[in-house]
Amino acid sequence: MLTFLKKDLLLFWRDRKEVSIVIILPLILVVILSFSMSGLFNNGLGENDDLSLGLVIEDNQDEAMAEFESTVKQSPSIPEEEKRALLSHVQEASPVAMLTDFLKSPDLESWMTVQTMSRSAAEESIDNGDLNAMLVIPENYTAQLLKNIYLDDGTEPSLSFVAKETAVEVDMIHDVIQGFLDTMNLQYALFASGSEMDFAQVKLPEGGMETIEDKQSFTFTLDQYFAFSMGALFVLFMASTVASRTVVEKREHTFHRIAITNTPALHFLFGKTFATFILACLQILLIFIGSHVILGVFEDRSLTFWGGLFFVAAIYSFAMAGLSAIMTSITLRLKNPEAVDGIFLIIIMVFGMIGGNFVPIYVLPNWLQQIGEWTPNGLTLAVLMEWFQFEDISLLWMPASVLLVITLIAITISIILYPKRGETS
Amino acid sequence: MIETVRLSKAFKEKVVVEDVNLYLDQGESVGLLGPNGAGKSTTISMISSLLKPTSGDVKLDGQSVIRDPSKIRKVLGVVPQEIALYQELSAYENLKFFGRIYRVPKDQLESRIQETLQMVGLQDRQKDPIKTFSGGMKRRINIATALLHSPKILILDEPTVGIDPQSRNYILEMVRQLNVQKGTTVLYTSHYMEEVEQLCHRVYIMDHGRVIASGSQSELLSILSNEDTIKVQVNQLTDAFITAIRNIDVVRRVEETGDGIKIIVQKSRNIISDLVKLAEQENIQILNFQMENPSLEDVFLHLTGRTLRN
Repeated sequence: MLTFLKKDLLLFWRDRKEVSIVIILPLILVVILSFSMSGLFNNGLGENDDLSLGLVIEDNQDEAMAEFESTVKQSPSIPEEEKRALLSHVQEASPVAMLTDFLKSPDLESWMTVQTMSRSAAEESIDNGDLNAMLVIPENYTAQLLKNIYLDDGTEPSLSFVAKETAVEVDMIHDVIQGFLDTMNLQYALFASGSEMDFAQVKLPEGGMETIEDKQSFTFTLDQYFAFSMGALFVLFMASTVASRTVVEKREHTFHRIAITNTPALHFLFGKTFATFILACLQILLIFIGSHVILGVFEDRSLTFWGGLFFVAAIYSFAMAGLSAIMTSITLRLKNPEAVDGIFLIIIMVFGMIGGNFVPIYVLPNWLQQIGEWTPNGLTLAVLMEWFQFEDISLLWMPASVLLVITLIAITISIILYPKRGETS
Repeated sequence: MIETVRLSKAFKEKVVVEDVNLYLDQGESVGLLGPNGAGKSTTISMISSLLKPTSGDVKLDGQSVIRDPSKIRKVLGVVPQEIALYQELSAYENLKFFGRIYRVPKDQLESRIQETLQMVGLQDRQKDPIKTFSGGMKRRINIATALLHSPKILILDEPTVGIDPQSRNYILEMVRQLNVQKGTTVLYTSHYMEEVEQLCHRVYIMDHGRVIASGSQSELLSILSNEDTIKVQVNQLTDAFITAIRNIDVVRRVEETGDGIKIIVQKSRNIISDLVKLAEQENIQILNFQMENPSLEDVFLHLTGRTLRN
């Protein structure tokens, strides 16, 4: 089998055109798409895309303000003059009103729809995909905040930001709110020389609500997105490229020459499978490393992060090797092997589209996103994005297991499909 | 040594090889003649275990090799009609790859590669990619690849198609040496009659999937022992002249050649005087008469009514 592996690697290496296509083209695309799409995304989002946020106000602002006013008035330690100034400031700058006004301001209105609704309605809308995220202002938020800032009493209250899944849009909404709260905190701090309000709670939904500290996550941008998506996409092409060499081997009768030797028949298939694994692995790593060198997409990341990246790349390459094995067996069975390239291209295009390799997966409908995660490339893209943001090893096991199962199934199918003597057309 | 028994192959409804019986004794050189589409390559594919026959058997030393072809694969070298080589790899890399899958022992592989390269006269070009070779050189490497594992039986499927006369002679001489000097049994298929005449002890003639005649060259030529071949060179040809010749009672066949006609006649009567008379009637000047010994080509024509290269 090693003989076949060497032969396939050598044939690939000799085809300089192919080598440059699979290595240089994805890098060029990553750079072009990163620049062009990020421009589109930043400039065009406000006009074309409508982000949606559900605002859940469980806080009773009037009651809290009245209670705070009463507490301040009855406080013997605050001079009367300060009491007046403080109450005046609080009435002018009620935190919930400021936040609500900001979220519904004309600036944001043009690209983000904010609807005030009940918690249950907001949760349902997120589940349906009607909302990108919801912001919950919890009960007693104003009261606790005012007491904490101005009277140095009690704990800091938190807002809850809830989204179904991590996405660029969710990050954007989160960043906008965080930016506003930072500004508001600064104003309060300047007035009261008080402490900062903590806004760091991001909740991922349903099926085990996951709370992740914002400070430990990394912002995912289109640069990383395209590095991952082009990596996953071009490895699909690699699987097809190696398999479609079988067409040449059939056409030039080298396959027939091999078939009349005493070499076990499956060595030909496994040679292609392992060659795909090695080439796919090298290709995806070169795309990641190249993207990093050119665009700095993985700057300041730990060795663990790179290790995880290599691990996912290797497992994905196994799955692609399985796919390549199926394609090889199909090629050997097809009466018209010249049709193979067209068939494989269609398969890759479909996988690439539903797997989110051509356009950010978030622009696809929810049902398509769910299907996409069942494709090896879609699943790999999803796990790479999560790994990039949260670098949590527990995120890797399940997708890795799924990819390995896909590999085993694919190799089994390819062996079943592999033609016996006299079955090649 | 090797034998086929009522070997047949059908693809769906179409029967391409039917009841082919042939045998090769050790050290023999046997020709398989037939026009394109006669079923020669399919027969070879079945003998070499690439195709499973629909019915019939292939035997090596009396034992069937249909179910377990490993024995025949060990002793058989097949030179396919196509250049079955990796074009991007060098001659050496091709030979190394195929040597390994032919299971040439590692310690002998290098020397076998060099021996076969020397045999085909391409040792100095071994590092060059096949795609840079001429047609004749490619054919020679195609043969070298089949010789790597020192096969006892060599099957060559039209190994000289589309190459220059020099390479063709080189290949024919090489095959002859393998047969005569090394005792390799040869099955040589071609539709070049003169190659088979030059190389083979015995000949099988195939047409429409069947063996229609077999035997040594003299045995086959004796089929035409009661016929003469007359070549007539003329200054011009008319349809009336040809029709008139066809109407002579002893004329079996008339065929136009470039500068005249070829007539196959029964040996019973001399028709020269008839020809002269007919030429005079048609105002045709006869430039030359030539009596020819029949060739295998004539035998084929006699048996099938067609020429080999139709």
